[in-house]
Amino acid sequence: MDMKVVVADDSRVMRQIVIRTLRQAGYDWWEIEEAENGADALTKIREIQPDFVLSDWNMPEMTGIELLRNLRGEGNQTPFAFVTSEGSESMRSQAEQAGALFLISKPFTADVFRDTIDPFIA
Amino acid sequence: MTSAATWEPLTGMDPVMTIAQDLFTTMIDGEPGHLSPWLGDTPVLEDPRYAWVDVDGPVVTRVMLMAGRATGENLTRALLAMDADEPVSDADFADAVGEIANVVGGNVKSLVTNPGALSLPVVGRDEPDNSSAMRIMATYFGWKGAPLGVSLWALT
Repeated sequence: MDMKVVVADDSRVMRQIVIRTLRQAGYDWWEIEEAENGADALTKIREIQPDFVLSDWNMPEMTGIELLRNLRGEGNQTPFAFVTSEGSESMRSQAEQAGALFLISKPFTADVFRDTIDPFIA
Repeated sequence: MTSAATWEPLTGMDPVMTIAQDLFTTMIDGEPGHLSPWLGDTPVLEDPRYAWVDVDGPVVTRVMLMAGRATGENLTRALLAMDADEPVSDADFADAVGEIANVVGGNVKSLVTNPGALSLPVVGRDEPDNSSAMRIMATYFGWKGAPLGVSLWALT
């Protein structure tokens, strides 16, 4: 089964860490497209129609929550989750209300990725 | 026989220390034990660099990191899984060190009452102007023997 995933983060370093951690968590078969902010991700999601989006929250041009609201606003129901440095209850609640599956806060480990993501891709 | 004194039970209670140790254990070192409180005189940073993020709110909280350029390069290599002698570009340096400030800032934000938005990280050779700010805390950690400064400021 092919699995196309968009990883959005304005930090190239963090995108590499997220992708490396996904590999360590066992998702080395995912085909990953990187996006450097929410606007870039929106374009790429429309273009490649991924199966899953993992996005940072705080990004220039378009934040992660704006990206998610834009997608849902145009009827796009691509499964979406956050990987962000902020993991407060308020942000988790905002994420859930906007339609995110989950929010992983930084710092994270491969175990956290596996335990959090596995139930949604089974 | 006497046992060595340890300050760990006291210093380990510091929430910033806990945040930093989590970050270094999971994403930088891949194992615990390489970041500890700096014991002794205030260290002098060689060729210092500064990275900070601001947490907006009724009072803006600034989270600032300080490290020598060489230490920042080693942090960048660790984050990017680079070889020990691989050159580090300015762009990767700013990105990596800024992201460390961002993760610490994001976790500090969760401890602040009524926080607003977290700013994007800024990295530079010059310390930001904290002259009208109130210092909430400042401390140094030792990472593999090299000093790293962390401070929190309330901007007025």
